[in-house]
Amino acid sequence: MSNLLSVEKLTMKFGGLVAIDDLSFDAKNNQITSIIGPNGAGKTTVFNCLTGFYKPTTGQMYLHQADNKVSLRKYTDFKIAHVAKVARTFQNIRLFPAMSVLENLLVAQHNELMIASGYSLYGLLNLKSYRDKEQLAVNKAKYWLDIIGLTHRADDNAGDLPYGDQRKLEIVRAMCIEPKLLCLDEPAAGLNPKESAELNKLLKFIKTEKKTGILLIEHDMSVVMGISDHVVVLNYGKKIFEGTAEQTKKSKEVIEAYLGVDE
Amino acid sequence: MEKQDIIKSFKDSLFTGLIALALFGPIVGLRTASKGEGLFITPQWGVVFLLVGLCILGRFLININSARRTEFKIFSTLSSKFSSITEDKAKHFAITGILFAVVFPFLPFTDRYFMDVAIMILTYIMLGWGLNIVVGLAGLLDLGYVAFYAVGAYSYALIATTFGWSFWICLPLAGLFAAFFGILLGFPVLRLRGDYLAIVTLGFGEIIRIILINWYEVTNGPDGITGIPRPSFFGLPFKRSPDEGEMSFHTFFGLEYSTMHRIIFLYYLILVLALITNYFTLKIRKLPVGRAWEALREDEIACKSLGVNPTNTKLTAFAIGAMFGGFAGSFFATRQAFISPESFTFIESAIIVAIVVLGGMGSQTGVVLASIFLIGITEIFRDLEQYRMIAFGGAMVLIMVFKPKGILANRKPTILMHGDKK
Repeated sequence: MSNLLSVEKLTMKFGGLVAIDDLSFDAKNNQITSIIGPNGAGKTTVFNCLTGFYKPTTGQMYLHQADNKVSLRKYTDFKIAHVAKVARTFQNIRLFPAMSVLENLLVAQHNELMIASGYSLYGLLNLKSYRDKEQLAVNKAKYWLDIIGLTHRADDNAGDLPYGDQRKLEIVRAMCIEPKLLCLDEPAAGLNPKESAELNKLLKFIKTEKKTGILLIEHDMSVVMGISDHVVVLNYGKKIFEGTAEQTKKSKEVIEAYLGVDE
Repeated sequence: MEKQDIIKSFKDSLFTGLIALALFGPIVGLRTASKGEGLFITPQWGVVFLLVGLCILGRFLININSARRTEFKIFSTLSSKFSSITEDKAKHFAITGILFAVVFPFLPFTDRYFMDVAIMILTYIMLGWGLNIVVGLAGLLDLGYVAFYAVGAYSYALIATTFGWSFWICLPLAGLFAAFFGILLGFPVLRLRGDYLAIVTLGFGEIIRIILINWYEVTNGPDGITGIPRPSFFGLPFKRSPDEGEMSFHTFFGLEYSTMHRIIFLYYLILVLALITNYFTLKIRKLPVGRAWEALREDEIACKSLGVNPTNTKLTAFAIGAMFGGFAGSFFATRQAFISPESFTFIESAIIVAIVVLGGMGSQTGVVLASIFLIGITEIFRDLEQYRMIAFGGAMVLIMVFKPKGILANRKPTILMHGDKK
């Protein structure tokens, strides 16, 4: 399997605090790579570096596309999603609560729609070419809503959905930008076992049907062990273990990091 | 009702009286009067005790009322009924409103005074709709909107008096200038949000006004610009005695000369401008850029994570909002024929923001209702001179008490998957 993302010697310092220390790992195409670790291990910081919210102190992050590799450092904030096609979700859900579910999914397709609307000119003239493109965008939204079973609530405000549905909506909203790499920050946080199982199904679907690489931060081990192809374990900003889910479960370092060591 | 409750509310109202005393004591109680030479302080404790007494009584009555848990039942049912009417029949309401506005000049009771008030209300409605793009949709609290109004008015006045171009050429130019200033303001404040943005925009409004006062060579300073050309009816001026070989409006149509012709024309002009603003806003709200504005208001970080360019999105909001402010400014200049920095003080910005916020952020109909309510009430109390600002404040307090989210505070999705019927 070919590499999708390579992180090389990534270091992120906040003043004297080293949040990520010389971290290197790879994520492969069509795989789910999980990043786990105790609280404060620097998992979300890795995401923030990857998705352009932080500029790493040193180190490189490459996204492999066909033959060439693209450095993610070149792109800042919105361009990561727009140009490099790396999408993410957030630990605390960030939907547009006062906008409808459908509108949330259309904002995710903003850039294509903006061009289709001739930077608003064709849209103001109400040309057919724009209306057709808008219909396509609505169809795409409907496709994803059908998958997560929320089509009947398309016209309701996103903020009015139950918590579990909001999580799923945030994931499919990120999928609407057709990302190559999808970064999920604790998607199972606050979900009940049934919802977690549904989430596993959705993530497997994205992996196999959409051929999208997934990078996952998660504390819920039923999710991590159930669907991960590859696990990277962080502690205090350092990688302490890397391997398959089975290997991780048995690893001495990982158990020590989570449970402590006998004195 | 318990005896305990009465004692409690009595104590509470005494405390209110104490606060009222602290406020009214120095403000009302100590009055400066000039007698001969120098200023003297004349105390007027009688008025203070009257006001404090009123506050205590009012607070006591409110307390007793809420203890009985009836809490202005009449008002809340009235207001909820009112909003359900306007929600259900928003379209009918809008059409009736526009029809009424169209026939208004020809109604039997409409006189010069009514027309002037109507023109003023329409100007504020247009400003409110323009600001609604920035504040209501994009969520960028702009306390210096009057700056764009001023830029529009001054660009119109300067271009028209210098080059003598017609209103219809100067109007778009003034709008463009204002939009340019909108972008100019937009750039430095891109990273600011909320309170900080409000402070900077407030400063921007003052900067523009102070430049207008001090740049004497161009703006004629505090004296203002006089003799701004009046608009003509497609080339026909509204003059009593047109120049040799020139037709004027009343001779062309064979009418008796009346000053009302020009007023009615101005009325329709601002009505059309306002309706264009409204139509444009309603249209653009449903386009990707409009949705991006609202998304930016909801969550900027999420916008970035979806590849929406926040810089461009904010700048377009500032530019388009400012453009409509500029149009309104041109209209103001041509209507008054005289402008000076006096007309563009902070209070104007405050009134426009109040109209947008009290109308219900993002609600077009809300802006209309708030303008009529706020400007209308201040106009009705014009005879009371300095007390009319109390009426303005009172109107604001009333809206805040009974409709804290604004008169109309419901948002309709810009696009529906399942059609209009649920």
